[in-house]
Amino acid sequence: MIDEELIAAVGAGDQMALKELFERHAPWIAGRLRRTLPLDAVEDVVQETFIAAWRGAASYAGGGEVGGWLWGIARRQAVTWLRRHGRVAPELWPAETSDPANAAIARADLQQAVATLGLEESELLRLLYVEDRPVAEVARALEIPAGTVKSRAYRLRRTLQEVLGKEEGT
Amino acid sequence: MAVNVDVQGLTQRFGRTTVLDGLDLRVGTGVFGLLGPNGAGKTTLLRTLATIVAPKAGRLRLLGHDPGRDHERRLLRRRLGYLPQHLGYYPNFTVFEFVEYFALLKEMPNDEVRPAVARAVARVGLEERGRAKLKTLSGGMLRRVGIAQAIVNEPDLLLLDEPTAGLDPEQRVIFRALLREIGVDATVIVSTHLVEDVAAACTEVALLNAGRIAFRGTPEELTTLGEGHAVGDSPLERGYSRALAGARS
Amino acid sequence: MTLDLHNLHPDDPAHIAGCAVCREALAGAMDLDLGRVWAGVAGEVMATPVGRVERFAGWLLHSAGLARAVVATPSLVLSWLLASAAVLAVGVVVTAASGGGTPWVALLAPALAGAGVAYAYGPGVDPAFELAQTMAVPDRLVLLARVLAVFGVNAVFGLAASLVAAPLAGLTLLWLLPMTTVAALGLAAATLARSANVGVAAGLAGWGLIVLANAADTRDLAAAVERGWLAPIYLIGTLVCIGLALHATSGDRSRGLEWR
Repeated sequence: MIDEELIAAVGAGDQMALKELFERHAPWIAGRLRRTLPLDAVEDVVQETFIAAWRGAASYAGGGEVGGWLWGIARRQAVTWLRRHGRVAPELWPAETSDPANAAIARADLQQAVATLGLEESELLRLLYVEDRPVAEVARALEIPAGTVKSRAYRLRRTLQEVLGKEEGT
Repeated sequence: MAVNVDVQGLTQRFGRTTVLDGLDLRVGTGVFGLLGPNGAGKTTLLRTLATIVAPKAGRLRLLGHDPGRDHERRLLRRRLGYLPQHLGYYPNFTVFEFVEYFALLKEMPNDEVRPAVARAVARVGLEERGRAKLKTLSGGMLRRVGIAQAIVNEPDLLLLDEPTAGLDPEQRVIFRALLREIGVDATVIVSTHLVEDVAAACTEVALLNAGRIAFRGTPEELTTLGEGHAVGDSPLERGYSRALAGARS
Repeated sequence: MTLDLHNLHPDDPAHIAGCAVCREALAGAMDLDLGRVWAGVAGEVMATPVGRVERFAGWLLHSAGLARAVVATPSLVLSWLLASAAVLAVGVVVTAASGGGTPWVALLAPALAGAGVAYAYGPGVDPAFELAQTMAVPDRLVLLARVLAVFGVNAVFGLAASLVAAPLAGLTLLWLLPMTTVAALGLAAATLARSANVGVAAGLAGWGLIVLANAADTRDLAAAVERGWLAPIYLIGTLVCIGLALHATSGDRSRGLEWR
């Protein structure tokens, strides 16, 4: 059965189809979530994702990848989880960047900082700067207005430039 | 190895009938088969171990607890699984609701109940029918629901009274594998009249006759006992009837 | 600029979904128990949402197990409740037809409660009684919770019927006390005899005798609920019957005994 047929079966209340869908998609969703979430959170979020998929399958509109649809749910569940556990790190970047000695570790810090980024931000970062997608498409993918994408991207860019600029300037 | 079942001088009488007669039994982990003719006391022994009937005489320690004390009995019961010979069902409960009901009565922690029920229902091969009402199930499926409620709390002492009755051959094979799996960490006591069950699933076997244990050993030892004996269709059956004949003479 | 956000694998769901090696590598690398996660999903998917009545009972009793036990009470199923309501409705109609001479609701309510309580729990009544006896939640507690629930529901039914009949026969709540007595009598008989039918018979016969005995000298069927001096007798009877029921369900008594 292809994914779309599985979703239809899940929507009709077939829990074995949900199991099949889980076996196909849970591993990569978990893998992707693991990059931004702690282990206990990954299990919770994957579980909530497929419970939500079970409830929402009937209203699945089609169009686009089923994987993308599931990832959209997973992302929302992850944000909810982080909010509920108050785990979004308020200090994303190291405060001490004026010292040139810190510049060398800035890149490592950046990696770490990205890992602690809120899921929304890291998604934004990925779509805009890694995958080079246009703003309109990113807005659609994240389900936020294009203006919000721009303002958030501006804030992100400034922080990034600050860190990377120091490094390149020395 | 932990002695999960420690019974000394167990006597049960109903009216003037002595059903269990000073029975001694010590069992550790593994799958323990209970064979014997009808009326030998198999069901009474299991009901006593399940803490339904208190002993008339004798000493009983189960999972290190004394079931005669209220508090210890409650602790013991949380780690107990029991499938009665005849289990009544609530026809309007779904498979899941029924197993969940007993998980709750076994006082499992609330947040563990639903995943545990899902796992138990899957282990007996009823995942597809989890939301079906019990009145729509066949006899074999109902038996499996009964097994699911018995194992839902991953018991350390699992007591099964004729669990394979009503199961078709394929399910029986799956069920025996499940027993072997559970028997790795827990004590499983199965009463059965099917000698094949014992051969396939049990690490040890006891033959009960007239309220006493007439034979105890491995299935292989019972087979050896039957060599050269005429009555019975399989080596193990010959061993069974030889041991029984010996006990009766 | 390049950020190495994708150090694990090409981030292509379609690829990973179809590639067993990658899936295993992913799941294995993370030491994540997807089997456990699936059990969590399956549990939520298969579970029936807990109804309002059950949730309220769970909150009241501090036990989800007891709450479900109460919901599964044979004498609280819809058909039983409808039958009880029907009997009381007939009582109201008969009272109206007889011009309000005899408060039938007051005479019927105790009988209904006695039958309901006898059919709350026990061998032959609860299909899984044998199994329930091996549960950590003591079966005596299950019995108590169910009896209280049945009694409460019957009391509410009786009150409702009394209110409906009030314009005809005047409002009387005097039946509440004998109702307690008859319920306790039904319970005591059911637990002592280990038979719900014996309990029902004892409750109905007991109440019938009380009513007739009091009607014999007063020529008034309602005397059993209206004579004030009966109250202490009802009270003592209730206490005695509850004591008997407690004795019948105590651990000592089931020593070496078989429920039938």
